[in-house]
Amino acid sequence: MATREVFTDRLQAGALLLPTMLVSVVFLYYPTLRAVVLSLYSASFAREDVFVGPENYARLLASPEYFTSAAISVAFAAAIVVGVMLVALYVTFLVHEIDYGRSVYLISAVWPYALPPAVAGLVFLFLVHPTIGIVTTYVEAAGLEVNWFSDGPQAFLVVLVAAIWKQVGYNVIFMTAAMNNVPASLTETAKLDGVSRTKRLFRVYVPMMSPTLVFLVVINTIYGFFGTFAFVDLMTKGGPAGATNVLIYDLWRTAFQFYDFGLASAKSVVLFVVVGILMYVQFRISDRYTFYGG
Amino acid sequence: MLGTLLALLNAAVESSRETVGAAGRLVDGRGIDADQVGLHLLAGFSVFLLVLPVLVALIVSTKQTGIVTSVGDLVPGTAGAANYRRALLELGFWRFMVNSFVMSVIIVVGKLLISLLAALVIVYYRFPYKNAVFLFVLFTLLLPVPVRFVPLYRLVVEMGWNNSFLAITVPYLASATTVFILRQHFLSIPASLVEAAKLDGVGPLEFLRSVLVPMSRGILVGVSVIMFVYAWNQYLWPLVVIDTEGQQVAQVGLNLLRGQASSGEVAWSMVMAGSVLTLIPPLALLVLFRRPLLETFTIQQK
Repeated sequence: MATREVFTDRLQAGALLLPTMLVSVVFLYYPTLRAVVLSLYSASFAREDVFVGPENYARLLASPEYFTSAAISVAFAAAIVVGVMLVALYVTFLVHEIDYGRSVYLISAVWPYALPPAVAGLVFLFLVHPTIGIVTTYVEAAGLEVNWFSDGPQAFLVVLVAAIWKQVGYNVIFMTAAMNNVPASLTETAKLDGVSRTKRLFRVYVPMMSPTLVFLVVINTIYGFFGTFAFVDLMTKGGPAGATNVLIYDLWRTAFQFYDFGLASAKSVVLFVVVGILMYVQFRISDRYTFYGG
Repeated sequence: MLGTLLALLNAAVESSRETVGAAGRLVDGRGIDADQVGLHLLAGFSVFLLVLPVLVALIVSTKQTGIVTSVGDLVPGTAGAANYRRALLELGFWRFMVNSFVMSVIIVVGKLLISLLAALVIVYYRFPYKNAVFLFVLFTLLLPVPVRFVPLYRLVVEMGWNNSFLAITVPYLASATTVFILRQHFLSIPASLVEAAKLDGVGPLEFLRSVLVPMSRGILVGVSVIMFVYAWNQYLWPLVVIDTEGQQVAQVGLNLLRGQASSGEVAWSMVMAGSVLTLIPPLALLVLFRRPLLETFTIQQK
């Protein structure tokens, strides 16, 4: 191991590290620290910042809308995790069980990884268009009444499905790798014992894939919290009546529609804590499960 | 456009020689394997559902009006060429595409260059507080754009960078993911190589250029695709920091397209044409470089 470290010129090392460190400090660490500081100020365009102490946090705690927004974000992230992982697990397993032509199916299941969220949002917006959308026609023909963008739960559902669609590919990539790492000896034994396919999936593959699945739960939760901005912005603008107003959208509106930078910074700090907790959970859990690691 | 996409799909199908045997295998020997046929049907139907929305978008982008209320409407129209030309030229979507492309290429090249240097130091140099430095780089994973875009916006405005490529590229250049993947890969390269290089008096940069880079080709391609897709799909930050239309990127430009195209059903043909255009670059890279991409992902997780 240590024999790799053959170069010792510290000045050189510093110079080579400089670009990465400089960008990290200036554009990542410094703005984050400044968000913490700014959260203690009243700040907007074209006027001096005024120190107000913890007032912005007090405003957050006193705001029922903010708690609703947080609850919606949690529900949204949870639904994303469950939805994406069930769909991806199902598709991954189907493709895995196929003997010939697997790679064609695989690439057809993985491609949404490349799908831009803005494209996914707009395409879904078209599919459920109230008068010219194909999904609307068939759902209405089935006797269901739809008001996609005036009914809260329906709007939530439309954004959710679009967001799930985009995220399936990424999950299939990791699940396929994890499934391929399960020793063939284990699954062959199960097959010979006549264990049914579904049982094999949940009794053999899923437990063996647990480190990957935990990793994906965290990644998908982060995606649910932060990766959904484009969907909400293009499809619902947070509406109707705040039904899709997830935290990240709420934060953007506070900053760039109401220009309340102090309050927005307080909301950023809350999100920072959320990411911190998620990452911590991931490190702790994946530590415990590395036993299975591939 | 349609032709390009079909050609890509064809390439994907042809390149996998496994399929050639598939049809034969299903029916040979003891006849049709019902279990495998069932799996093919289920898997085929599932991936069809995953592709369906994009097929609808593709069809709508060739029609004179955007009306698709039933399966019967899913007949490609004849206005494809006219729609794409209108979206690209008259409505100026080509500018957004060029901007997105320039932004993504700068981010990919910049990230690769500075991450290669950082990974080189982290693996092949001995200096104090090395682990702290590596942790300092990794810790930036905790600082995604959403937790810092308000102060970042102020910073960029103070520097006079708003509405420039600097604003939408430089803040992205540091990459914990890239440094981490490269480090993992370098650690899998035998230590004897660098010892030999050192004995021969080969310097670190020369070692990087003539040994590490050639030995990391697959990884570098994989990382480049990951970073390109990441950069190309950025939406929130360009929306915040770019407010002149000529500098906007495709993701945000799509919404401008929606507003610019005359209202009503026709606009949807334009929006879907723009969507297909925006999807093509990342999708093409994914299909072309799927092998190195998938290999790189497996390293990332370790």
